[in-house]
Amino acid sequence: MTPAKNILSYSYYPGCSLHASAQEYDVSTKGLFRQLKIGLQEVPDWICCGATPAHNVDELLSLSLCAKNFSLADRVEGDLAVSCAACFSRLKTTQHKLAANDIKRKQVEAAIDGPVSLAKPVKHLLEILAKDYGLDRLKEKVEKPLAGLKVACYYGCLLTRPPEVPELDDSEAPTIMERVIGAAGAETVAWSHRLECCGANFTLSRPGVVLKLSNEILASAKGAGADCIMVACPLCHGNLDIRQKEIEEASGTRYNMPVFYLTQLLALACGVQTSRLGLESNIVSPMGLLREKNLL
Amino acid sequence: MSRIGVFVCHCGENISRTVDVEKVAAAAARLSGVAYATDYKYMCSDPGQGLLKKAVAEHRLDGIVVAACSPRMHEKTFRNAAKSAGLNPFLCEMANIREHCSWVHEDREEATEKAISIVTMLVERVKKNRKLVPITVPITKRSLVIGGGIAGIQAALDIADAGHEVVLVEREPSIGGHMAQLSETFPTLDCSQCIMTPKMVDVANHPNIRLYTYSEIENVEGYIGNFQVTVRKKARSVDMDKCTGCGVCTAKCPQKKIPNSFDRDLGMRPAIYVPFPQAVPNTPVIDRANCTYFKTGKCGVCQKVCGPGAVDYEQQDELVVEPVGAIVVATGFELYDIGPKPAGSPYEGYGEFGYGTIPDVIDGLTFERLASASGPTGGKIVRPSDGKEPKQVVFIQCVGSRAREKGISYCSKICCMYTAKHTMLYHHKVHDGQAYVFFMDARTPGKNYDEFWRRSIEEEEAVYIRGMVSRLYQKGDKVVVMGSDVLVGVQVEIEADLVVLATAVQARTGADSLAQKLGISYDKYNFYSEAHAKLKPVECATAGIYLAGACQGPKDIPDTVSQASAAAAKVMTLFAKAELEREPIVAKVNERNCVACFYCKKVCPYGAVEEKEIRDRNGNLIRVVAYVNPGVCGGCGTCQATCPSKSVELDGYTDEQVIAMIDAL
Repeated sequence: MTPAKNILSYSYYPGCSLHASAQEYDVSTKGLFRQLKIGLQEVPDWICCGATPAHNVDELLSLSLCAKNFSLADRVEGDLAVSCAACFSRLKTTQHKLAANDIKRKQVEAAIDGPVSLAKPVKHLLEILAKDYGLDRLKEKVEKPLAGLKVACYYGCLLTRPPEVPELDDSEAPTIMERVIGAAGAETVAWSHRLECCGANFTLSRPGVVLKLSNEILASAKGAGADCIMVACPLCHGNLDIRQKEIEEASGTRYNMPVFYLTQLLALACGVQTSRLGLESNIVSPMGLLREKNLL
Repeated sequence: MSRIGVFVCHCGENISRTVDVEKVAAAAARLSGVAYATDYKYMCSDPGQGLLKKAVAEHRLDGIVVAACSPRMHEKTFRNAAKSAGLNPFLCEMANIREHCSWVHEDREEATEKAISIVTMLVERVKKNRKLVPITVPITKRSLVIGGGIAGIQAALDIADAGHEVVLVEREPSIGGHMAQLSETFPTLDCSQCIMTPKMVDVANHPNIRLYTYSEIENVEGYIGNFQVTVRKKARSVDMDKCTGCGVCTAKCPQKKIPNSFDRDLGMRPAIYVPFPQAVPNTPVIDRANCTYFKTGKCGVCQKVCGPGAVDYEQQDELVVEPVGAIVVATGFELYDIGPKPAGSPYEGYGEFGYGTIPDVIDGLTFERLASASGPTGGKIVRPSDGKEPKQVVFIQCVGSRAREKGISYCSKICCMYTAKHTMLYHHKVHDGQAYVFFMDARTPGKNYDEFWRRSIEEEEAVYIRGMVSRLYQKGDKVVVMGSDVLVGVQVEIEADLVVLATAVQARTGADSLAQKLGISYDKYNFYSEAHAKLKPVECATAGIYLAGACQGPKDIPDTVSQASAAAAKVMTLFAKAELEREPIVAKVNERNCVACFYCKKVCPYGAVEEKEIRDRNGNLIRVVAYVNPGVCGGCGTCQATCPSKSVELDGYTDEQVIAMIDAL
């Protein structure tokens, strides 16, 4: 889908989290794209992608939920922009599996009572910013460089894996987050736990696992000298930000490590009003840090 | 009118169980041109052959069809029988009624009908067979060996010891290859240098071996028995005749900070250097890319200090043409490039292992240099980062091997064994150290191999952990290894002082372009292909070219040496004959009809078609036609199928014969 007159425009699939616990991700995504003059039109009537639960119980259900979203997305112009790492993973996996398997495709067509449409490219925000929009253009738009802010880019498990599905970057040694936030003037730290699991959905069933794994991530980021962590996934954000106080209590370590969505930091750098970044929703308040770095 | 004899074989019951052989013989007897037909239980047996010979004499036969098994099985047998009965052997053909009939059918009646059809076709073909005489080709009894590692050295020594001249071409300044870099070798732990260097010296001193080091193959022309090979002798900048190998130049060279690739960049070398002290020849070479004189025109120290005046800055590359009759390809392997993405690969690499950024993550060959008594540390195992003795060493197997997602699905074959060896060498030198090995499977087929591996665990206390490693990262002065133990089902973290990666064995960069120069085939990994996986493991499909060592696939030293000696034996077999005799089933060009379109030349897989000039008695060029070199032609018939003017035909398979066979049905 070639955008007219070199103006980028996308259909937008926010996913459930961005309408609930991760509203600040949604708000800052929209704010950033408005600032960069990238069109973003929400898919009407979109439904849940099935996330982790669906594909754990029933593959057909998981594929069908995503396929239904593809047919809904076809009503809107532009490649499908996705913010949430899990939605991105599920949608890309569905495309990957259905493109290669006619039998599954027919089953899904029966389930959604319509044709499966796989033509529309699914793109994560990072890909849109780094490849479609371009880092040079992004640099020009930076009004408030994030100079002096040491950012630990956290990819989590899903964004780049498995290698044949997201095709976002090298699956085990990616650099796309560093390149994007680097364009906004931030300093990125080299650290060990960029792609380790935060504990993900165990946050509900076995929170002890999350307290251990997320603690290791926070410790690694802190040890590498990071001021904050940047994420692209609502679930990672929940575990690292919302549970941070519990982690601190369990481990006896004080981190006070703000966890930003990538769009919050980028929107801030590109001059979006601070009140429209959703910063008040972050549990570990980033205000002190941003004030200290003269970014507010 | 022909007088053809048809002999139908029962093959015990192999044929007669399904085919009514008597009926086939009776039907054959009624065919026009058949003078005699019979059946017999075992045609290939001595009485069977006697029957054939007797019939030729009694019935004055001028052609023979043996209806039996595949010609691959017994064509030679019956042609020899025909020959001893005084018949041209190429007037004897086989009708395959076993593999093509009795073995694949069940219905006796239908099978019998088919057998009759097959025999009828062959009778028609034999009627039009010409008497052929085997082709003889002269042989240049010298051999080229490409590659001076252990494979090339072994092949060259064997051929030279048999009394034939050998031209040995090595790309590097010294022969020795990978084996010269190794510390000790499995499964006996004998020192690699100690068993290797005497062979290197033998090569240098052998009167039958002409050694070209720092040289590469530029071009190959010709065919079995008659190759013309152009060798590029790269400018060494040192006159090999004058140099005495005294070593003053290398000692005085002011530029001494060039990483020595022989030592896997652990040590440094000067710009004029011999790669290692035991190098053969012991003649230095100037690394022009790093030499101050070649970069700036100033310095010239080596020339000033050289007593015999051997340093020659003006030396140029030299091309030498060597006629040889056989070629042994022994170009060896290289190791998988571990970076985030190997150069030119569409696949992801191992960015998560931090190789190249974490100094104490090294590969197996680097560990060999650390453990080698002639290595940069004199055999003391220390960490590259700070020179301290590592107390916990983690070895990771299958880095790149058996990894379809990295584009390599094969097993590199040597890593299980050399990793076991590494744990032993380490334990011998660092008694209080602990070695861990992450492995997928331990593959130890080979004489005394499994015992060796068990020893590394039971006596040398290596801890083997079945599972893979997901990430390596630096933490203080340690390298944290994050892995899994899939037998216990837990995640494992080890804080290691040194990590050694057993990286995949790969074909040499440029293996494909050498193969194209030689006209040999290679697989998707650029390993050279043998003619038959089981029965022709050292021959190429291209006649006169043989394979030795890891250029054909990952191999350890014993297998490499065996294959090299086998390749040498094949060369000696070739050279044992006065002339090369070949089957005369080759294509011939009808020069009067040829329109010189040379489609045949384009399609010929053997490169047998040449352009031939026809001149009148005054030497004026009349026309150009295609010519098939019978020494090279493989007899595939592709040219015949392609020729638009029907000017080229394969003897024994002419259009006339094939059409007559079809008409007979």
